[in-house]
Amino acid sequence: MNTNLKISNVTKKYPGCVANDNVSLEFNSGKIYALLGENGAGKSTLVKILSGVIIPDEGKIYLNENNLKLNSPLDAKKNDIGMVFQHFNLFETLSVFENLIIDSDEQREVLTEKINTIMRKYNFSIDLNIPVLNLSAGQKQKVEIIRCLIRNPKVLIMDEPTSVLTEQETSELFLSLKKFSEEGILIIYITHKLKEVMELCDEVAVMRRGKLVSVSEIKNENIESLANKMVGQNLKTIKKKKEKTSSDQLINITNLNFISEDPFETNLSDINFSVNRGECLGIAGISGNGQSELFQVLSGEIISDKNSIEFNKNYIGDLNPQERREYLMAFSPEDRLEQAAIPQMAIFENVALNNFKSSNFFNNGLINENKIKEHSKKIISDFNVNTNNIELKSQFLSGGNLQKLIIGRELITSPDLLICFNPTWGLDVGAINYIHETLIKINEQNKSIILISTDTDELLKLSDKISVIHKGKLSKIMDAEEVTSEKLGILMGGGN
Amino acid sequence: MIIDVNFVGLIIASIMASAVPLILASCGELITERSGVLNLGVEGMMIIGAISGFALMTVTGSLIIAVFGAMLAGVLISTIFAFLTQTLITNHVATGLALTIFGIGISAMIGKNFVGIPGKEFPVIFESLKDTIPLLSPILFGHSIVFYFAFALPFITSYFLKKTKIGLIVRAVGDSPEAASNQGINVKLVRYSCILYGGAMCGLAGAYLSMIYTPQWIENMTGGRGWIALALVVFSTWNPIKILIGAMIFGGLTIIQFHMQAIGVRIPVQFLTALPYIVTIIVLVVISRDSRKIRLSTPSSLGKSFYKDN
Repeated sequence: MNTNLKISNVTKKYPGCVANDNVSLEFNSGKIYALLGENGAGKSTLVKILSGVIIPDEGKIYLNENNLKLNSPLDAKKNDIGMVFQHFNLFETLSVFENLIIDSDEQREVLTEKINTIMRKYNFSIDLNIPVLNLSAGQKQKVEIIRCLIRNPKVLIMDEPTSVLTEQETSELFLSLKKFSEEGILIIYITHKLKEVMELCDEVAVMRRGKLVSVSEIKNENIESLANKMVGQNLKTIKKKKEKTSSDQLINITNLNFISEDPFETNLSDINFSVNRGECLGIAGISGNGQSELFQVLSGEIISDKNSIEFNKNYIGDLNPQERREYLMAFSPEDRLEQAAIPQMAIFENVALNNFKSSNFFNNGLINENKIKEHSKKIISDFNVNTNNIELKSQFLSGGNLQKLIIGRELITSPDLLICFNPTWGLDVGAINYIHETLIKINEQNKSIILISTDTDELLKLSDKISVIHKGKLSKIMDAEEVTSEKLGILMGGGN
Repeated sequence: MIIDVNFVGLIIASIMASAVPLILASCGELITERSGVLNLGVEGMMIIGAISGFALMTVTGSLIIAVFGAMLAGVLISTIFAFLTQTLITNHVATGLALTIFGIGISAMIGKNFVGIPGKEFPVIFESLKDTIPLLSPILFGHSIVFYFAFALPFITSYFLKKTKIGLIVRAVGDSPEAASNQGINVKLVRYSCILYGGAMCGLAGAYLSMIYTPQWIENMTGGRGWIALALVVFSTWNPIKILIGAMIFGGLTIIQFHMQAIGVRIPVQFLTALPYIVTIIVLVVISRDSRKIRLSTPSSLGKSFYKDN
């Protein structure tokens, strides 16, 4: 039977932003639909409305011409709409079987039979008796999918399903989704990954800042056209002007060693390098080869021998991050919500954490809130953070906005050196572009960057010199012009 | 020295009797905590149950009204807790502590008129079988109905949690209220029910103390049993059968140390009095050491408020 799902004039507002602005869309079964948009474009809000988790302020949903009242997830389920959440919606300590049967009123035997049929049909193999916390991300997702399939859904919504999957698991998922679609299930696939849209979907709807901007067939699109629609402007291909950089040395690392007591950390041995003013040194490597330790040693989270780090003619190896900041170093750690910002604190409070003596954020132990807020507003406008509410908790910022805030916080004092670790990890194209432009600008102002990254393309695009870290050792430093990604690949694997 | 087997039987029976209020309160609190709610008001709910049961018995003369009235009193006072923590989203710990202080205070106030009044005899069942089997008879027969219920309760609780749909929902809510809510489970309703059930069991435990175990009203007569019940729940790693074991050890050591004090064993009294607490916790920790099982039976959301925002 044909399924027709219609979203009509849906609006959902939150304080400070309109998550969905008068969105209307129509879907028909037999096709796989992509809902594409940057982080924070409103696609997750839209599908949460479809699954009854969020109630819209205005608008109607029709399934086969019936107006649905979706006031709770239960309503969505009753109306045959199934959803697989981005952050799994499973009970970790319950067994797989218990997770599968919890929302069903049917007999245990009937359910067991159904589950076994589904698993056989789609080639899923999962032990039903083990607790969910012992499963891999891919297996957890299969449990979620089975849970939807038990109810014979007409509509299946997948919210950024591949963000936690390996490549192998992703292609398995795509096979299953195509099979479901052939069997008449209407599939809505939410993502910001363009490649996946091209590979899997038949039609694509693009959202930007809460608005629907286009609906089109995949065969009329390509990656560039979709990227431009998603970001809303023609994406410039950024290229760094490679100039002859100065020979004025800014930071010099000599014989830096770090031996860890934690068996899961990597020891650093004999690190030597220097960075000149206006230069970007890229450090490539497969993650887990000592990047995190190197970042911590450079930022002062791990203190080392005083003489091992010379910065601006001062020996600073024994200083902590705050003291190093006073010497005009700045840091952007890898994990935005764990290391760089405190998720439960407001934007301006997070800004205040970067407390320079010169910034006068505190007077005699009291917080100078006006000063901090003024400073935060400047960061938000200078660095294009998409919010006007500096009292918003930082956890509610999208990854891209949070990264802009963090980089902005570091750069607003115009430091001489920025050390960043995977600055564009998990971001969408628009945000990546913005961060890259910002980093190039820093170099143009004759400031330096140490860029530790696992993204080779990013390194080749931004660096003047490149080195590779492998098992805690740095390779010799190469001129970025002479390096190819093949060569980096060999070095990253430990070859010569 | 000849040891009378029936005397041994009587000692075991008295140990079991002293374990009854602990089992009742712990099994009630276990259900509450399994749904993710930490109610530290067990002591307060027990003492409210104790005074309500005793007062109703004295005033109405009906044991049935008294027992159910005590349970209802437990339900009522736990409703306050439920309303505060679930509807007004107050902190579980602070609210629970306040509940205990409130319970102790109000029970003392009501109880003023009931001090020194003798209690009634509570009927026992299987009295006639008391002399049939040596050793076992005094253990098995001649107890109140509440006694039998208490020893069945851990098994019923275990079955309820593992085998029934509602038990599964309770565990699911305790594991992740967000996920449960997304599955269409009414988290508040589940948590309210579990809190009220816990209140009823604590009320019954209190009534057992003031009507059956020592049939009289003494101010503060629960004497910290509510706190022991709470500790039993945690140290048994939310396992009803281990609660039974812990309550028996605690009851046993309490009785035995009384006897040791009476005989005049030359160990400091303070040490003897502390013994049941220390040993119970050590034993429970040792038998619940499997960290994987702990992870699986600990309600992940314990003590955390759940609020749904749309």
